[in-house]
Amino acid sequence: MAGVALTPSLAELAPRAAGGAPLRLAVAGAGRQGRAVLQELQQIEGAEVVAVCDTDAGRLERATRRARGLRGYASVEELLDGESELEALVVATPTHAHRGPAEAALEAGLHVYCEAPLASTVEDSRALAARARASERVFAVGLLARANPIYALARSFHRSGTLRELVSLAARDHRKTSWRNPVSDPERQERLDWRLDPALSLGLAGELGTQQFDVFHWFLGLYPVSVRGSGSVRVHEDGREVADTAACELAFEDGLRLHWEASLGNSYEGRLEVLRGSMASFELAWTHGWMFKEAEAPTQGWEVYANRQTFHADQGITLIADATKLAAQGKLEEGVGLPHPPLHYALARFVAACAGEGEVHCGAEEGHRSTVVGLKASEAVTSGETVEIPPELLEVR
Amino acid sequence: MATRFELVLEAQESAGPRALADEVFEELRRREACWSAFEPSSVVARLNREASTGWVAVDEETFLLLAEARRVFEESGGAFDATVGALMEGFALRGEGARGEAARDELKTPWGCGDLLLDEGRRRVRFARSGLRLDLGGIAKGRALDLAVELLRDHGVERALIHGGTSTVVGLGAPLGEPAWRVALGPGPAAPVALLHDSALAVSRALSRRGPDGGHLIDPRHGRPLARESTAAVVAPRASTADAWSTALCVAGEACPALPAELAALRRAGAADASWRPLSAELGAFQFPAASRPPESLQRA
Repeated sequence: MAGVALTPSLAELAPRAAGGAPLRLAVAGAGRQGRAVLQELQQIEGAEVVAVCDTDAGRLERATRRARGLRGYASVEELLDGESELEALVVATPTHAHRGPAEAALEAGLHVYCEAPLASTVEDSRALAARARASERVFAVGLLARANPIYALARSFHRSGTLRELVSLAARDHRKTSWRNPVSDPERQERLDWRLDPALSLGLAGELGTQQFDVFHWFLGLYPVSVRGSGSVRVHEDGREVADTAACELAFEDGLRLHWEASLGNSYEGRLEVLRGSMASFELAWTHGWMFKEAEAPTQGWEVYANRQTFHADQGITLIADATKLAAQGKLEEGVGLPHPPLHYALARFVAACAGEGEVHCGAEEGHRSTVVGLKASEAVTSGETVEIPPELLEVR
Repeated sequence: MATRFELVLEAQESAGPRALADEVFEELRRREACWSAFEPSSVVARLNREASTGWVAVDEETFLLLAEARRVFEESGGAFDATVGALMEGFALRGEGARGEAARDELKTPWGCGDLLLDEGRRRVRFARSGLRLDLGGIAKGRALDLAVELLRDHGVERALIHGGTSTVVGLGAPLGEPAWRVALGPGPAAPVALLHDSALAVSRALSRRGPDGGHLIDPRHGRPLARESTAAVVAPRASTADAWSTALCVAGEACPALPAELAALRRAGAADASWRPLSAELGAFQFPAASRPPESLQRA
């Protein structure tokens, strides 16, 4: 069936807590991402979320409102002081505020999962990655493609030569949202709307693009050498300076190009990545994925039984993790689509790694490299210029 | 939920309310992603796949929703049952190809919310019988609206109207100068009117044959589609309560056990074909008799 021998079983990703005791975690940041983290951690056997912190009282109250036994703190410092039996911290604070909590947690001897991008400057990212490398604790960066079973399946096909010569790369992240928080207090608004602050925000390219650029870094084992960008406010004419629509072209050394675009003004096509090769293409959409083969590409035996979907003039083979097992059970159709949101797999790998079971999906050094690419893309969009990405910037010293 | 949600907010300018609306709809989408039986990565889909073979940990909100569904099942004498998913599929009551063949013999498929086991201490769920399938369609939309209203209140909103698919609507506060939001159950001046002030209205209906607007209710007490036409509207402090109990009333009608005291009264305004069922001096619900025409889409009167 569909590349089963190369596919990580979904069951292998379920963590098993060492000695039966769940891992005691806390979450720093109770905004949208922090609450998503809380929701997923509650569903992972072997994880017990004991506390959350946020400097915003309203967000903290929302996060703890119905969560039984979840203790709330107004800062990371108070949380670390108040939770003597904590074992790990998930950092879901704003990007420019990642380094402080992550380093404090490492200093306190905790394992750390830090959302991506790792930091808002190359210096902070490098410093944090170095600190993580020097620590004996588990450190994971929230670049989710590397934990995604569908992406892992596609990558295994790519590494076995299915695409043949790479022709072009593309990615899109289209959403219909303002990025603005509905707050009436101006001081609170300024704090919560950090994504719209040109002094703090990495814009669409940094905040969103970093995740997608990392897909290609992981597939190719390569990083771009330069990036050019552009951006403008197309829809949300509310006085903002941060572009609500942006595009980048990332150039790799061999001439390969990644075309990326993102917008907060239109949701058509959502979020996806495309790798085009001379014999096949992948379209990856985080919870679903498809392979499109060229007419002259050799046919594999398993393809006869593969689940297919038609998109206008193309027919795609649906990428299904655990396809052989499901096909043997006559449940191949049920395998279409990931059984958990992408965030779940990354957190589950982290929890397992903290219990001594396996490795994290993305460590500090890979996280730093992709963060640098995101930072440079952000710079390119803001300046409208081509920005070089020297390889030495990607190193963690 | 696969339905259209609409939010009415009063505001002096648009940027702030627009941002709030974004957040509300994002919350609704998050709930759909979590509770839809049709999303492969939803918690409900995962429970349907795994809970027959062992305990499954769920998030707090999902656990609370299931606990409420279980409670309504018990209080309604089984007229509301969140485990009829397999029956819905078996009788093809979902989607555009739904047939609702009432003539089909009882399916050999398990259902029964009594087999939904909840471990409150560890927030885990298990099915006591293999093959059980959750379908939270009769309560999840209401709960999602409750959480949306909670979000509005968190942001200081005192006046708003929000509905999902015109069958469940919440009136937060009242329009300026009015005592309540007025929601008509049907067209014309004689249509009954619900007055909503920090309360929710839900309407459920069943047609004996599947049509474009309904006819998709299972009678969980007998394990087959409801054979008679029926419509019920309930007003309650919370949308999840109204949602679930409108389904229960639609199914069981007069045979439904005593409804919980929190259900609030509907004010009738010259209703010609809807009967008022008093539960106490202040509480009641509308029950439309079988011969009556089902209400059209809700409209503000």
